[in-house]
Amino acid sequence: MNRERIFAWIGVAGALWGLVFAGISTLDYASHLDRGLHDLHCSFIPGAEASVSGEGCRTALNSPYSALFKQELWGGIPISLFALGCFCFLLGYALTIVSSGNRTSRAAGALYAALAISPLLVSIVMFSISWFELGTICKTCAGIYLASLALGVSGVGVLVNTWPRRAEGGAGSLGLAVAVLLGMLLWVLAPSAVYAALAPDHAPFVTQCGQIKIPKESHGALLSMPGGAARKNAIFFEDPLCPTCKSLHERLSQAGVLRRLNVELALFPLDSECNWMLDQPLHPGACKVSKAILCAKSPAEMLDWAYAEQAELSAAGKSGGKALEQLISTRWGPQVTRCMEDRATLQRLNRHLHFAAGNAIAVSTPQIFIEGQRLCDEDIDMGLMFALRTLAPELVQ
Amino acid sequence: MSRFKELLHDVLPGASRGRAQDGAAQAEPAHLPPPRGGGLGHMLSGLVVAGASLLVVLGLVTTSVTSAKGRLTHQGEKERPAVATAQEAEVAYCTSDFKTVLERVLHSCGLSTQTDRRGCKPSDIKTFAAINDQDFNSLFHPLKERGGVLMFDEGSDVLDEEGQKLLEERWFERKGARYFFVVARASKTGTAAQNRALSHRRANSVMFFLQKISGETEEELNQRVGLLWLGNEYAQLSGEYCQWPRSRREAECAEEPINRSAFVSWVDCRL
Repeated sequence: MNRERIFAWIGVAGALWGLVFAGISTLDYASHLDRGLHDLHCSFIPGAEASVSGEGCRTALNSPYSALFKQELWGGIPISLFALGCFCFLLGYALTIVSSGNRTSRAAGALYAALAISPLLVSIVMFSISWFELGTICKTCAGIYLASLALGVSGVGVLVNTWPRRAEGGAGSLGLAVAVLLGMLLWVLAPSAVYAALAPDHAPFVTQCGQIKIPKESHGALLSMPGGAARKNAIFFEDPLCPTCKSLHERLSQAGVLRRLNVELALFPLDSECNWMLDQPLHPGACKVSKAILCAKSPAEMLDWAYAEQAELSAAGKSGGKALEQLISTRWGPQVTRCMEDRATLQRLNRHLHFAAGNAIAVSTPQIFIEGQRLCDEDIDMGLMFALRTLAPELVQ
Repeated sequence: MSRFKELLHDVLPGASRGRAQDGAAQAEPAHLPPPRGGGLGHMLSGLVVAGASLLVVLGLVTTSVTSAKGRLTHQGEKERPAVATAQEAEVAYCTSDFKTVLERVLHSCGLSTQTDRRGCKPSDIKTFAAINDQDFNSLFHPLKERGGVLMFDEGSDVLDEEGQKLLEERWFERKGARYFFVVARASKTGTAAQNRALSHRRANSVMFFLQKISGETEEELNQRVGLLWLGNEYAQLSGEYCQWPRSRREAECAEEPINRSAFVSWVDCRL
């Protein structure tokens, strides 16, 4: 078997591998269109059992980079759809080279190389985003990256081996190259077009999650966090040690939504130390961190810090003892930890909790109300930008 | 050679026979085998595979999206999982008997928003509690650790420093409770009318102190604090209540002084 054929076979294998992982990713994504929470197949082994946590895959799925047109379509169009079309096309192209063997011209090899390397370039970008922005690598995505790498290797290998076969170019060859490129474009866009055409309209569901009952805490106990370019008012119920709150907070911040909101923050720590609505602490230490935030000169700054250091704070909270207080004291000074013990602080936190009770919110965080309208739990992850655009277009423009 | 075939010769794998081959012959290394025909066939086979795989993909996308759409459309027909909602505390001692009395107190002692009355006098309590003294007192037994007994001097309604401290401690241990109960009493010393008035004043002393420290508006306090003053004709405490958390821990305690008091406690019940 000649070398270009071997490299073409690598391309076939890469395309098939990519199809499997892009397919899994797409099916996982599409399953969420019913607004439910579904398990994710987050594994290097195709067909492995799905899990609720999905490890890095859940983070990737909920990130703003997982899909395009998120404002226009609930959940957007997952980028794995583009990958699916691309792998289909490259599978065909690689098989063409396999079957033609050493008769592939330089131009054909170069065109194949250009197309086969393109998923690798996209994968490099996505890997960087995943690693540096999200701080995690989703295994399904890693499967696609590996497939892209195989295709990249295949492309380079075919190019190197066909390079000696120089052929005269002409208008015809250019035309056919354009036709091939257009073909690839068609293949890449077709799954997305079908997906977008069939995707259900979520707009009617977005406004069906109720309204706040008591919009104002009578003692002014809530934390005011005015946005720099505020256009709407919102009430957030958040737990500083809740990972979903952290994720939502970061996404709202990245999308510039927080700047456009005047937020009244009600702390709702899911920790039985202060929250009577729980039998056991879901996030041990959350009461202490909440009290620290109430004591901070700049609560917004401390909340950002708590989210940034959430893993460490949670570990300290779980370990018990004074570890958590020490972390807070080291960063914010002993006056904050003294204030945390103050009766007035406890009373203020208690008022936050009673405010939640008065509004009969769900015992889960985060809970968001924009101009009194509750943001559905189902819209907090994949459908966030669509829901915000539907509820308050000013926030996402 | 047709124009189409020329294009194939130029670009597609396996299509280098003919013009391209002629031109490239000199540039190609001598060891390469001569190109053969069949380029169109190869291209078509690739196109078929690419097309077939795309069709499979489109089928999968269509199936998964329409399936999710179907579930979304019919989600109203399924029972949604119950979600716990935030609310005030409700603990084990909130029995139906306890709640009955609590509700009667709420409606009779000024807590209800529908009435402008504030507090209950002994004659009312006999009526609305509809239970005997002992049963009435035993309702409050579960509140032993949650509450406290504020002791007063004989014939006095002055809440001393120790009483204030205990009241403040208890008030700020609210947690999830919605209602705060104040049950003032007077000992049997003196006439019934005097004791009724004294008991009333003791209840008011507690209320005034709460107004000072609570940070609540009068309206909020009125909706939260249930005041009962019992005089000496109903629900007198026995000496065993001296073991309850109380102010003046060092002072001697017996049946007489324990009734010169106001029992205060948050009540963790919902109605």
